[in-house]
Amino acid sequence: MNKSLPIHEIWVYLSGSPLLALILTLTAYQIGYVLYMRSQRNPIVNPVAIAVVIVAVCLQLLDMPYTKYFEGAQFVHFLLGTATVSLAIPIYRGLSGLKGRVIPLLLALVAGGLTSIFSAVGISYWLGADQAIVGAMVSKSVTAPIAMGVAERLGYSPTLTAVFAVVTGILGAILARFVLDGLGMKAWWQRGFAIGVAAHGIGTSRAFSVHPEAGTYSSLAMGLHGILGAVAIPMLAGYIPTF
Amino acid sequence: MIPGLVHILLWQGAGELVSHFILPHIPGPVIGLVLLLGFLALRGPVPDSMALVSDAFSQHLGLLFVPAATGVILFLPQLRQHAWAVVLALFSSVILTIAVTAVVLKVTSPGGDSE
Repeated sequence: MNKSLPIHEIWVYLSGSPLLALILTLTAYQIGYVLYMRSQRNPIVNPVAIAVVIVAVCLQLLDMPYTKYFEGAQFVHFLLGTATVSLAIPIYRGLSGLKGRVIPLLLALVAGGLTSIFSAVGISYWLGADQAIVGAMVSKSVTAPIAMGVAERLGYSPTLTAVFAVVTGILGAILARFVLDGLGMKAWWQRGFAIGVAAHGIGTSRAFSVHPEAGTYSSLAMGLHGILGAVAIPMLAGYIPTF
Repeated sequence: MIPGLVHILLWQGAGELVSHFILPHIPGPVIGLVLLLGFLALRGPVPDSMALVSDAFSQHLGLLFVPAATGVILFLPQLRQHAWAVVLALFSSVILTIAVTAVVLKVTSPGGDSE
């Protein structure tokens, strides 16, 4: 009669500790990452998107509320800040690429950044999306760890911001080629920079797989856009409609 | 790897302090990033142990936002209701952003789009 007790006890113990949430998060990401590598880094097979779906389905099956899951998974979440600081290293490595191109690159960065905000906010607002969605559009072209921090400070949803950032990255990585070919863009540094401004980390790994120079400039664009976004978006927020 | 991690955590701490006391509208880690960038610009090459930490983070940056992004399950009804607005906004915005960035680069570069 007592034989069935241990399993039940183990279950109660595990679901009360952060371990279950951590195992779930890391295993789901690992599955996503393996599939991504097997697909030869096809941007559509995005490891984060796969991991989110797996975790969401598991929470549903385990009947575990999201807040309870997050209590455990916050130990992974916490590292976002540390990862943000460490973005200084790829930016520093890319800085030599600025030489002789500072003015075009900075002008393009500002123009691209403003376009990303006002087109996304404008279209979603005009089509009647609610405030949480419109707010999460504001920083979605900035790399997700920074975008979430910015959103949090401004009172927008970090969750929706992260989701929109990931979807933007995937779309950018897939569509960039067609847009850039359509515009007759030939120089790798220009192609890479445009992808990095629009599609941050996911665009950057795509750019690296196409051409190293494109990757370097994409990484530089992502870093600079991150810094610019964190500084400028709070100042712009007052001019963005609906808030 | 540990010295690099300690180094980065200290810059994060410095960033949090500056954010808390001086620049409350900028997230602490971003200030830490800028401070570390300034430090590297002054003191030269990236230490190996720091490069190891940074490369590990950049390779698996996505893992770190899985917990927050999973919160999307709380927004599903809202997203379904505004699906068209979300899809159109994300699609058009990314295409416009790539196009505008590229065209500005092409027009303002002295050599046009030559390599």
